[in-house]
Amino acid sequence: MARRVAVVGAGMTRFVRRAQETGKELAWEASREALASCELSLDRVDAVCLTSAPDAFDGVHMKGEYLSDGAGAFGRPYMRTYVGGGSGVFTAIQAYYTVASGMADVVLAVAEEKMSSTQPHPQGAFLTIFDNVLERPLGPNLLWIFALEMNRYMTVHGLDKRDIASVAVKNKRNAADHPAALLGQADITVEDVLASETLAWPVQRLDVSPISDGAVALVVASEEAAKRISSDPVWIQGVGWNLDTAYWTNRDLVFPEYVANAARMAYEMAGVTEPRKQIHVAEPYDPFDYKELHHLEGLLLFDKGKAPEAARDGVLDRTGDLPSCPSGGLLGVGNPIAAAGLMKVAELFWQLRGEAGARQVPGTPERGVAQAWGDLMQVGTVVVMGREGGPPTTATQLETPPVATPATSLSDAEFRSATGAVEDAIGAEYEWDAGVAVGRFLDGLREGTIMGRECRNCGRVLVPPRMFCERCFRGTDAWVQVENTGVVQTFSICHVSWDMQPLDEPQLPAVIAIDGSDGGFLHMLGEVTPEDARVGMAVEAVWKPVAERTGSILDIAYFRPRGGTA
Amino acid sequence: MLEKIARPDEIRRWPGDMPVRHRYTPGVGGDAFFTALHERGVVLGSHCAACGTTYVPARRFCERDFSELSADTEVGPAGQLVSFTIVFAGIEGEPLDRPDVLGAVRLDGADAVLIHRVLEPGEEPLEIGERLEVVVRPEGERTGSILDIEGFRRTD
Repeated sequence: MARRVAVVGAGMTRFVRRAQETGKELAWEASREALASCELSLDRVDAVCLTSAPDAFDGVHMKGEYLSDGAGAFGRPYMRTYVGGGSGVFTAIQAYYTVASGMADVVLAVAEEKMSSTQPHPQGAFLTIFDNVLERPLGPNLLWIFALEMNRYMTVHGLDKRDIASVAVKNKRNAADHPAALLGQADITVEDVLASETLAWPVQRLDVSPISDGAVALVVASEEAAKRISSDPVWIQGVGWNLDTAYWTNRDLVFPEYVANAARMAYEMAGVTEPRKQIHVAEPYDPFDYKELHHLEGLLLFDKGKAPEAARDGVLDRTGDLPSCPSGGLLGVGNPIAAAGLMKVAELFWQLRGEAGARQVPGTPERGVAQAWGDLMQVGTVVVMGREGGPPTTATQLETPPVATPATSLSDAEFRSATGAVEDAIGAEYEWDAGVAVGRFLDGLREGTIMGRECRNCGRVLVPPRMFCERCFRGTDAWVQVENTGVVQTFSICHVSWDMQPLDEPQLPAVIAIDGSDGGFLHMLGEVTPEDARVGMAVEAVWKPVAERTGSILDIAYFRPRGGTA
Repeated sequence: MLEKIARPDEIRRWPGDMPVRHRYTPGVGGDAFFTALHERGVVLGSHCAACGTTYVPARRFCERDFSELSADTEVGPAGQLVSFTIVFAGIEGEPLDRPDVLGAVRLDGADAVLIHRVLEPGEEPLEIGERLEVVVRPEGERTGSILDIEGFRRTD
């Protein structure tokens, strides 16, 4: 039987664009503030759980080991976990099971991210999340994934961009009350969001959270230790996490079933049977405004496609029926990736204790849910927390995090001229090969055919093909030639390169479901104007001349509307 | 199931990289260290009153007890050689014209060691435990870098 586990302390740095502090200095600032918040010294900590997103952001190989001293790991059991953007919430889960299992009584959970180190743009570190053989030759940009998912979500449900933009407005306004926020803006309007630069339609500049530096820490304790340390522990009632397929073009881009699976796991543990009634405050992951809505639906708090109207109608406001991201979220407080996720758990802690100051949601919320999302855009991590036994007993006059919360913001000029600064490139170059299944697929492209692999157990024809079925976990059975035609599942009109430089001509990336298969892949649309591109449009592959084909995804020049130019 | 590769050079390969470089700033502790080295030519460490450890280079906090630290302790310039190595090959494995000697020196007043080149060790073999001192470049040549220290040399 798992032991009961509580959060007893929390701390965070300001989220800033360029921190003067090193990553480990940020981790230390957040960690010591978390310990100070529950009057604990480091020697009372039994174990340390740390998370930080890709090493390539800080530019430090083995970032967990590098950050260990700032996280209080000296001479202690210590482990960094990493599930991409889902990491921040996951490290609270890691702390939970470290304590619940009886391995430790008091755990420090720390999340740090320093994205300002990456030049020219952190997106460079994200390019390898695309398949190096099937997708990178197309020149992808991280924004594509979000824009493609957002367009499909909007199109299938017939959503109004204004309703989605209202999430960015809510969060940036909420963040104006957060002492640690980077992008709080009390007077922002939906018109401001809709007038901001279009990056990869439908994603505009103000739909996106900013690059940031920062750290967050929690003190997590067993029931016995929690009652000794705090008069008002907040209990971790349920945790859950779940992954979708690694083939993002094969996913349901409308509904995040993996988030729903993670939520069901956490709700079952927490005894939550009617989430919409039993959850009083939510901190869903909001790197983009539509993602908050996507995730609220995944968390089973709204029916599919119904979260946007809740945003429009004020249901998600701090004073609404289900306050969502009262902190200001990633869109408002900032998005130092791993730290931003743990910030959501810290916000629940403060909200449930009645310590959130100007951000406090009214009434006495008893239970909240925090969620993050990441890996190759397919993990959901969920924590349900609650207070038990009457209204909060702690003073409600505390400002959390304290106004003097550290992290010093450097101007770009200070960053460029800092004494002792060093600039360097890892200089790592790679050569990727196609493997067995994709190798055969590329041979097919050279011959002008699209090949899939059939799994006779589940009956699916897999495109891109693989030699094993990840659902049935058995070898696939046969090669099947599928059609050279398909249906546009979603598309984007992208105006920027991966390093955010304007493009001369917009690109039209699309996810195309291939006829005769149960899958599809990323490619480009051609012979169609951006205005005429449609979700649901029937398209056909346009092949390069035989002599120019090399056995590459680029042997298909693009997909065009069937029957010629629309 | 495995494909047999007879001619590895004929495998189709998709070359690529991760097109990022990094700018590392020294942080709060490092700023004090590099500023003092640059402007005054001294090596600063941080003393933790709680546990008694003196770190070098200077740090913002004590990793043992989380105490806040400042760059309050000048260490060296002399110290004791804790270990050394003689490097004959470069980063790609190529032989070096002149071997590089690297020393780990615990400067007087510090608990931690500083790693740097050992300058002109001469014919007589280095011995662990012997005394070395920091050689700082002249004021006009210093830029605020760990290379403002030229290396360690034997004390006479």
